[in-house]
Amino acid sequence: MKTLNLFGAEGRMMYWSLRRYMFNTVAMVAVLFLIFMGMFWGVKTIGGSGVTGNSLDSMLVGYILWVSAMLALGNTGGEILSESQRGTLEQLYLSPLGAHRIFFFRAIVNILFNFIIMTIMLYLSMAATGRWMTINLLYLYGMVFLSTLSLVGISFMMGGLGLIHKKISSVNGILSFGLIGLMLLPTYPMTPYAFLPFIAGAAAVRNHIVLGANFPGWWYLFIAANSIFYMALGLAVFKRMEKKARKLNKMNQY
Amino acid sequence: MPQNCIQVKDLTKTYSDLTAVNNISFEVRTGEILGILGPNGSGKTTTLKSILGLIEFDKGSIEVNGLSVKKNRNEILTNVGAILEGARNIYWHLTPMENLTYFAGIRGIPRKDIVDRAEYLLESLKLTDVANKEIRQFSAGMKQKCALACAFIHAPAILLLDEPTLGLDVEITRTIMDWLVDVVEKEGKTILITSHNMDFVESICKRILIIRKGEIISHETVKSLKEKFARKHFLIDLQNKPHEALVESVSSLGTTSTSGNSLKVELETLDHLLPLLTALDESGIKMLNFKSVENDLEDIFLEVIREKS
Repeated sequence: MKTLNLFGAEGRMMYWSLRRYMFNTVAMVAVLFLIFMGMFWGVKTIGGSGVTGNSLDSMLVGYILWVSAMLALGNTGGEILSESQRGTLEQLYLSPLGAHRIFFFRAIVNILFNFIIMTIMLYLSMAATGRWMTINLLYLYGMVFLSTLSLVGISFMMGGLGLIHKKISSVNGILSFGLIGLMLLPTYPMTPYAFLPFIAGAAAVRNHIVLGANFPGWWYLFIAANSIFYMALGLAVFKRMEKKARKLNKMNQY
Repeated sequence: MPQNCIQVKDLTKTYSDLTAVNNISFEVRTGEILGILGPNGSGKTTTLKSILGLIEFDKGSIEVNGLSVKKNRNEILTNVGAILEGARNIYWHLTPMENLTYFAGIRGIPRKDIVDRAEYLLESLKLTDVANKEIRQFSAGMKQKCALACAFIHAPAILLLDEPTLGLDVEITRTIMDWLVDVVEKEGKTILITSHNMDFVESICKRILIIRKGEIISHETVKSLKEKFARKHFLIDLQNKPHEALVESVSSLGTTSTSGNSLKVELETLDHLLPLLTALDESGIKMLNFKSVENDLEDIFLEVIREKS
């Protein structure tokens, strides 16, 4: 019950912040849409008639996956940094439920909010390109949610490093852009790349939605296990860094 | 609840080659306001944060309501609130009511359970009229009152305040002071407070702890400290600025300081009173006022610090 109240608190905090910074929220959707349209027209112009409907669908789904991944990856590290800059980080550490739970639920709320933004972006893009896909949103977001949990784990590792080293945005940048290449790697049936975070889930989403490929149940279980593994690893690293930050009295410093 | 709700024993915290807190022991009794005084870097904040478990200490033990901070931190935090120095403590882009709801929520308390308490806190801190306004627009004093309300939203029995009146004007300081005293008297709360504001500490604390270089150099009631360091100061207002010869002759009688046309003298013994008056008479400067003042807490604090140096 307490955990549910914490989740509610994070949800409300997200709502209040969005309402107060409405311009920023609208600008974020606009920027994501404009980037996609830029990519779309770029591919159309360079590829000409060689660009098929499938490759455009793949680009749109790939873009949604990458944006979701990027936001999940930068979440906890970014939140710790901004809490630290705001001077509210230590108050979060006074919660008897633990700061790691606060940041975990904040990440979940962010992912869920991201789905709303992505849906808006998806339909805007389809309307603008005239290429309408039949997308099973439940499958899309279910799978994105499941696989981005692994990136939340990586984000916790970054957050832990952020507690000690404070400025880690360049590392986040490298990881985010590295993901673009990694997401194109083959994962099924069971290549070594499948053990990397997020990659197997992203490939499953792309292949299912764009190519109509179906996967056996064990593959989805593997994706879930991959997420749980990275989430647990991320939390373990975060807790260790937290302990170190307490030892060095680095909680309040930016 | 035990009589001592906070028990610190042999607390030591070292950062590489700097010992921030060195083997200190003290207790905070249930229902009291204990003040910690000390110069910058003396270890006050480290002590407070160690109690909160925000800093991992090297040696010693801290118990809050009989529970070890190292082993039962989360349980302890359900009954403790804090305001930390040098931090905002609250979200400026939210309103006071939103902050109160959020800080209750991250402690697992549902919104419906805190409505009455939030309204009571806002009213008692005179924040009701601005309950739904963005904190960013508030004065420093109002922001601090909001932080105080948030630290109190879960009705903790213990409140730790690190420099709660830093940078605040007299009026707000007085409001906070009255509010804290009221809370202790009516609700039986326990408060541990660090401050540089001696008047504030003197007004609300019965006992104080003076820390210097990570060590406790005094741990007594304000009353006994005042008795121990009772001295007579003489504050003399002159028509002109005291000249060097006068200052020199007065200095031989006791500790002397000047400020504009005033001379403050702490005589080593009252036998020196006559020579003081003679020196003033011989200086040729007209004396406008001559009054004796008692040592205030600030004088005592400086004296304790000097004595232990």
